Amino acid sequence: METGFITAFWFVIISALTVPLMLGVGFLLRPKGKDTRRKMTAYECGEEPVGSAWIKFNIRFYIVAIVFIIFDVEMAAIFPAATVFKDSIANGTVALVFGEIFLFVALLLIGLIYCWVRGDLEWVKGVTKFAPNK
Amino acid sequence: MVQSAQFAHSLEGWFGFLPLWGWAAISAGLVIYMLALPFGGLATYIERKIAADMQDRIGPNRVGPIGIFQFAADAIKMLSKEDFVPKGGDRFLFNLAPLFVVVGSCTAFAVLPLSKYLIGADVNIGVIFLLAVTTLIAPGLLLGSWASENKWSLLGGLRAASQIVSYEIPVALSILPVVLISGSLQIGQIVEQQGWTVFGENPATNHFWNAFHNPFTFFSMFLLFVGGLAETNRIPFDLPEAESELVSGFNTEFSGMRFGLYALGEFCDVFVMSAMVTALYLGGWHIPFLDIEKLGFALPTGLVAFIQFHMFMIKTLLVVFVVMWLRWTLPRLRVDQLMGMCWKGLLPLAFFNVLGTALWMWVFKGQSLMQLLAGHG
Amino acid sequence: MNKVLLLAEILTVASALIVGFHPNILYASVFLLFTFCGVAVMFLFAGADFLAGAQVIIYVGGVTILILFAIMLTQWLYKIKLADIRNKMVVPALLSAAVGVFLYRALHQMVAALPPQTPEALEKFTATPKTAAIGQALLGGYLFPFEAITILLLGAMVGAVWLARPE
Repeated sequence: METGFITAFWFVIISALTVPLMLGVGFLLRPKGKDTRRKMTAYECGEEPVGSAWIKFNIRFYIVAIVFIIFDVEMAAIFPAATVFKDSIANGTVALVFGEIFLFVALLLIGLIYCWVRGDLEWVKGVTKFAPNK
Repeated sequence: MVQSAQFAHSLEGWFGFLPLWGWAAISAGLVIYMLALPFGGLATYIERKIAADMQDRIGPNRVGPIGIFQFAADAIKMLSKEDFVPKGGDRFLFNLAPLFVVVGSCTAFAVLPLSKYLIGADVNIGVIFLLAVTTLIAPGLLLGSWASENKWSLLGGLRAASQIVSYEIPVALSILPVVLISGSLQIGQIVEQQGWTVFGENPATNHFWNAFHNPFTFFSMFLLFVGGLAETNRIPFDLPEAESELVSGFNTEFSGMRFGLYALGEFCDVFVMSAMVTALYLGGWHIPFLDIEKLGFALPTGLVAFIQFHMFMIKTLLVVFVVMWLRWTLPRLRVDQLMGMCWKGLLPLAFFNVLGTALWMWVFKGQSLMQLLAGHG
Repeated sequence: MNKVLLLAEILTVASALIVGFHPNILYASVFLLFTFCGVAVMFLFAGADFLAGAQVIIYVGGVTILILFAIMLTQWLYKIKLADIRNKMVVPALLSAAVGVFLYRALHQMVAALPPQTPEALEKFTATPKTAAIGQALLGGYLFPFEAITILLLGAMVGAVWLARPE
């Protein structure tokens, strides 16, 4: 493990300690408020909150997260390949490397285009050209 | 870190007695408490002043000479507010959420190249480390919004998380051309290779700033900038904390210092994103066309570090200024426009740039425009 | 034994235990996040620097968000009380112990079969950057898996959006 990571750990620790530090200072300084029912209810622009704090299931959030993971894994695979691209120019194998990266990117672009054309990337339902699959 | 240790050894009489972890802790503390947190605080003041200037009024001017202690007054006000967890809200998660945001933004300062000799942790996976750490912010927003037990907060938090998460792909893909050009993930090396001097010989690895390496990287810089705007929830991608739509979005129920920590985390993130653009595309701490270490006479390391640090800060703060400028210029994007812009706009363009950069490097054997000009001219 | 590594291991195991046994499913996913972070730190100590970064990016930034979305958007999922498991722990505990012993002995045997390394050589190995080596491998010997990953990802993406269509 490189020595640089020790500094990185210390950054994590110190920034993680800053949060309770600041909240602790606030704790010492702040007044103890009364627990009135009105104050503790959720804020809805002055109205009484209606219903529980649940919203109906919106699948588009979930689709976005899944497509993100797919592209994330792709990125994680491309970064090491990109790191050796420059060396491959010196080696003379650049055409091969370019072809490999191109293939990788092209296949995933095909997937993206498929989702796009079928309307799965639409945030608002009903604005698609193709009818959704029944 | 090696460079910092070398720098420290030049002050050996003072710091030679510390073990490695001691020196690491001190650098971390210094960077966080003298750069990250003060910037986070001052940025609230700077933003208000810039806003005022653009709206033709005077901003805060009461507290201190030109109102400069406004951020301290705000901090004291926030600290003295009442501790408030909404009824039915989850206390543990409510307290945990700002932690993710602050840790995510402040840890990224570890890999920022403040100067050739002042990088907190010049790790070999610098760029990946940066991406990984800024990714910690998304769960923070999501958990905080859920713990508020408020429909509108939850909606804001879900939108914020899906926005941050979607725009991470174009951001990573916009960093990819830089990795292709530099052949390394180490930020210190990426910045060093961007030096170019007209007063002498340039090493073969050096090309001028990455933004001017080829047309595709120039375009990538703007994609990175836009993606960074979206990642930090700045206008025009401001919907998660939209002031006029969801009250205050995901941080509706946060008050006092917890809200202050969110704001701090957001401004630190803005700085990190701007620093990323500066370091990866705008030459980091290099003075354009001049290499102060290769002048006829040798400058002391401390002075070189000082000058380079200021150069880096000037460039980064210019980018931060543009970010703040955009806030008061552009209207806010609607959520479907926002997501559509990511998946149907930025993402294909980012892919196109990656392939274009790879193609350029193949055709021109990795040389930048500047190297080509210098080679022929 | 490095103190930081020990701390990371304790964090990982404790978080994993909480994930397994906490009644509130949302808390379980939050501690899953900590487990992923602990695993990333352990990767760092083993010298897999790129993998640690990729672990955080993909798992903490992606999978955790996915799980949290699923829990927050599905009301009935949240209302499930993880059943009272106190009476049913005997057989799983025995099985886990057996698997644990097996894994320990297998790993011990594997490590003992390696040529002996000096601590300095190990230290040097874990400190060398691995990204270039991974890149060379992906574009060289492991090219077929590299391209096969794309096809797998393509299939996963198409499958996921197909399943999510309004039926």
